[in-house]
Amino acid sequence: MSEKPATNIFSKKPSRQALFETCVSTFFRLATYLVIIAAGYLFVNIAYNGSKAVFTTKAPFINIDFLTQKPQTLHVYEPKEVTTEQQKINAEILSTKAKRNALGSGEKAQRAEYEAHIESLEERYDILDEQRVEGRLMFSDSEYRQLDETPSEELFKYSNYAYSGGGIGPAIIGTCLLVTGSIAIALTLGVLCAVYLSEYSQPGKMLQLIRLSIMNLSGVPSIVFGLFGFGMFVLFFGWGVSMIAGWFTLAIMALPIIITASEESMRAIPKGFREGSLALGASKWTSIRTNVLPYALPGILTSSIMGIARVAGETAPIMFTAAFALRDQLPWEGLKEPTDFFFQGVMALPYHIYVVSAKIPQNEYTRNMQYGAAFVFLFIVGFFALSSIILRVKIRKKYKW
Amino acid sequence: MAQTSTPSDMTDENKPIIEIRNFDFAYGDAQALFDINMDIREKEVTSFIGPSGCGKSTFLRCFNRMNDLIDIANIKGGEIKISDINIYDKEVDVIELRKHVGMVFQKSNPFPKSIYDNIAYGLRIQGIKQKSVLDGVVEECLRGAALWDEVKDRLNESALGMSGGQQQRLCIARALAVKPKILLMDEPCSALDPIATAKVEELIHQLKKQYTIIIVTHSMQQAARVSDKTAFFYLGKLIEFGKTDDIFMNPTDPQTEAYISGRFG
Amino acid sequence: MNRYFHHELHDLRSMLILIAEKANEAGRLAVEGFLSSDLEKTQHAVKLDDEIDALEIAIDRASVRYITLRSPVSSDVRLIFVAIKASHDLERAGDEAHSIAKRTRNILTRDGSVQNKVEIEAMSKLAFGMMKDAINCFLEEDLDLAESIIEQDKEVDRLNKENFKNLSMALRDGGIDPATQIETILISKSIERIADHAKNLAEEVIYLLTGE
Repeated sequence: MSEKPATNIFSKKPSRQALFETCVSTFFRLATYLVIIAAGYLFVNIAYNGSKAVFTTKAPFINIDFLTQKPQTLHVYEPKEVTTEQQKINAEILSTKAKRNALGSGEKAQRAEYEAHIESLEERYDILDEQRVEGRLMFSDSEYRQLDETPSEELFKYSNYAYSGGGIGPAIIGTCLLVTGSIAIALTLGVLCAVYLSEYSQPGKMLQLIRLSIMNLSGVPSIVFGLFGFGMFVLFFGWGVSMIAGWFTLAIMALPIIITASEESMRAIPKGFREGSLALGASKWTSIRTNVLPYALPGILTSSIMGIARVAGETAPIMFTAAFALRDQLPWEGLKEPTDFFFQGVMALPYHIYVVSAKIPQNEYTRNMQYGAAFVFLFIVGFFALSSIILRVKIRKKYKW
Repeated sequence: MAQTSTPSDMTDENKPIIEIRNFDFAYGDAQALFDINMDIREKEVTSFIGPSGCGKSTFLRCFNRMNDLIDIANIKGGEIKISDINIYDKEVDVIELRKHVGMVFQKSNPFPKSIYDNIAYGLRIQGIKQKSVLDGVVEECLRGAALWDEVKDRLNESALGMSGGQQQRLCIARALAVKPKILLMDEPCSALDPIATAKVEELIHQLKKQYTIIIVTHSMQQAARVSDKTAFFYLGKLIEFGKTDDIFMNPTDPQTEAYISGRFG
Repeated sequence: MNRYFHHELHDLRSMLILIAEKANEAGRLAVEGFLSSDLEKTQHAVKLDDEIDALEIAIDRASVRYITLRSPVSSDVRLIFVAIKASHDLERAGDEAHSIAKRTRNILTRDGSVQNKVEIEAMSKLAFGMMKDAINCFLEEDLDLAESIIEQDKEVDRLNKENFKNLSMALRDGGIDPATQIETILISKSIERIADHAKNLAEEVIYLLTGE
């Protein structure tokens, strides 16, 4: 375009193309930022609200009770003076609002007066609310029972809230047990199946079909797995609502991920290792055992544990098969026979979150429980994921090619 | 000096260790090898040359039944006899066969273990665990592969830390550990630099005192340098087989002549 | 690093030296037969020539084999070409010895002994000295020696011309059988040819050592 000869043939020339490039990259950048913001908000929200329940201001800074105790009914005593005052103010706000709403469109001065009044009332209410929070007494069920005498009914207004006190100890234990058990079952079954599919089976239409159906299995809604587990393990096998039924249900749900991932990892092992060992007179299984599985293990473990961690977050499959909304005893308490350990229902964090957020009347105290449980749950899942990554790094270091 | 070769001095040499008779081989419906007849003699280096896809690697893999791994591979006719036993007989245990017929692959494939464990692998899977036995075999094989002096101080280091040429010689040493009679080499130098290639060739020259070696190679110079006999394959057929001197200096078949002089296609 | 097939080059070198020694010996025997009127020596020379011919064929074969199978380069390939060319030169030198032997035999059968020896002795000393030097400079890779051989060739040429002059004069004067005179001229010519081959050898050694 320019008349004079260009001194540098690589110099930049403005064009539509360049503008288009900039637009596209900006668009991609914005989309990415959006995702980061959304994810960030999610985590910060849970962490912020959850830490209120999990951490305390006093040493040891962790709310041990919350992490170890059972969910309990919360007994609350609020100072009567304050609450009655609040009630009065509330009533006045409502009546003023009603009056304001009744006004015609012409009376601007009157409307402004009402609005100012409502505002001052609301300020007063907030101050009182702070007093109420400071002055109230809260007892979990166990504490409540140990009280020698309850605070006087004269001074305090008594109310109680189910599931809002105590902690989530049994749910944490239950979740850990469910996850570990289902990892064990799913890994064993999944790896065996993957070894067979990738190493032994005859390639062909049949195998394609099997692979396809396994992949499709991961698209089945979790509630369907729940129902299947309920029908199969709980009813047909007669295991009842029990940990073992939960293990199998979760394991079966995780199987598609594990089989696909394991096959992938095994396929990624160079053909040379197999051929090399076969050519040295190794049998097929020896060659797989010594020269395929060890090198595929990091991949298998990582993706499998990640898969399980995802599946463990599902509420639906354990809802019918393994989870109790509330259980007084910890899993190792009150066993008649050792095998009973497997045939008992447990509490689980996802189900607990579901219960406290959907099954009981909501109030200012349940919020704490929900976020606390969610935060701890996030932490546990993160822990499993992290451990799988550490495991992979360790094994990879040992077998590197 | 240059020996004149007559058919007679091919017969009164050592007895053939591998005899291939009317061998036909196919992948599914696609026939890969047509009516191969060949005698391979003990303690000789035989090289297979020919353009890509001519079936030489396939043929090589028939000697230790590596093609068994491919489901659609099937023998359509003929037989391969090693030491007078048809290796495709039902009685033959592939594992025993593979101990007898070692193989080195195109891409050096040391296991991601230590040098020591790589050599010991073949014995360990046979259940030999005594350290003293393994130590002896490891040293013997590494010496046999002219690798001992280079690696004796780092036997416990990963084999993957070795150079490409060393890795390939390690694979040869590993194959020697199970004491084969025959060594198959599938383009063992195709990924190596000239010096590493020279070392491997030198090794082949040394090894032929004890082993019968069959080598597939794309490098005609290599075939000319290392082998006693050369077989030229084209489109699944054995076109010409004879002494390397004759094949390269005075081939009888015009196709062989065209291929080795680069006038092919 | 020496490759296992490099000994083949060494063998080739040895064969080349052997053929050179034999060619030199054949020439020396033939000329000695002439100078001392010794029929036996000439016969010996003829026999040597046959061996030389066989050796030349062997060297050619080995060279072609080495080129085909070992794909030599650089000094190795030069050595092979030198081997081919030198063996050819030496074979020619052997042929010259053969012809000297044959002509000596003719003279001896005709005249009983050689009368006119002109400058043959000095000439042959020079020519075979050159040949020996040529072998030595090949063995010891001595460039200076090779260059000095080329100088010596001029002296042999001069002697040959002198012989020719003397003999043609003698032919005019008569006395001795003209056939003998002509044969002596041809013998002188043959020695001159042997010196030429020695010169060629020296040039080939220079090529081998410098590539030029």
